[in-house]
Amino acid sequence: MSHPAPEELLLDYAAGALAAGPALAVALHVALDPAARRTVERLGVLGGALMEGEGEVPFDEALLESTLARLDGVGVEPKPAPYVPRPGFEWAPAPLAPYLAAQPNWKRVFGGFEEMRLGLPGEHRVSLLRLEPGRGLPMHRHAGEEFTVVLQGGYTDSTGNYGVGDFAVGPGPEQHEPIADPGEPCVALIVIEKPIVLTGPFGRFLNPLVRRGVI
Amino acid sequence: MLSPDEAANLIEAIAARRDRAAFASLFRHYAPRVKAFIMRGGTDAETAQEVAQEALIMVWRKAASFDRGRASAATWIYTIARNKRIDLARRAARPAIETEDWLTVFAPEEADADKSVLAGQTYTRVKELLGGLSADQLVVIQKAFFEDKTHTAIAEELKLPLGTVKSRIRLALGRLREALEKDES
Repeated sequence: MSHPAPEELLLDYAAGALAAGPALAVALHVALDPAARRTVERLGVLGGALMEGEGEVPFDEALLESTLARLDGVGVEPKPAPYVPRPGFEWAPAPLAPYLAAQPNWKRVFGGFEEMRLGLPGEHRVSLLRLEPGRGLPMHRHAGEEFTVVLQGGYTDSTGNYGVGDFAVGPGPEQHEPIADPGEPCVALIVIEKPIVLTGPFGRFLNPLVRRGVI
Repeated sequence: MLSPDEAANLIEAIAARRDRAAFASLFRHYAPRVKAFIMRGGTDAETAQEVAQEALIMVWRKAASFDRGRASAATWIYTIARNKRIDLARRAARPAIETEDWLTVFAPEEADADKSVLAGQTYTRVKELLGGLSADQLVVIQKAFFEDKTHTAIAEELKLPLGTVKSRIRLALGRLREALEKDES
């Protein structure tokens, strides 16, 4: 993976400290990047050991009784079938599945740029973006944190080239203008803390729409 | 105490035959540990108990998903408990939204050339590691796991530059990798 997620973000994720949007971005990266998965597995071992290490703690017999009583209504679910992406969502790793509509519902924003908003709790705007090859997002800068995970195709901006599984952390106030690579359309998950600010001559007209959440 | 093998056997017994005695043994060992772990972050006893109970019921429901080749019982139950805590916190903040347990599927099911052999890890090995970390590194790791704070929040709380916290985390993760690599290779 040429652009891995920073390790401190993997710790935030493994410890359960991330808000829903950023956690989904890291989950998708982890699903696509064996090295990140290994780090998260190691952190899981650490978390398990910290929990296992809790000393002698009082046990509540009544709690066990009430839990056993509840089990009567709770089945043991069969082993889940291996995940298979649904038609139209071939690029979607398993952690994304619960957030996808029955059918792809891409909304055209402007030429060659489409968006699918995902409903997640929390203060982040979480979307899937699709860019036709050679098309770009308008020049913009970021007011808050932004995480991008590429799910299909790739894109290039001033910071480098990003392919499937690559993870980009919003570059702060610097402007950047990603362009989709040739080949398949680029599909990426984008998680934004605050609305982006468009800075190009065309983009400035769109800012009121961005602020209102229209695009 | 419950050895990693014994704990894995109990989960497999639940999956194979809805073994209530196995569940009770697992519950006796893990419910109090989950509760104590959750309370370290400042969660009240009642809520921590609810997390523990809900987590162990999830262990019952999802027992067939457990794979001792992928994760130890402690790691698997930790992950479930962590997700239950997150669900509970989100429900409290936004009662209208039901969240999915997608964090439990953090690793995909497909065959993995790099398949984890971390499952055999025991508490002892990681305890040695924690003993070997500097106090500076340890406090960051503990705040992350016990208080579920992000590294950004930890830097603010400790009044440290973000870069300092990041380098402590990376050093600690390097040590963790070294400690576990013996068994991975």
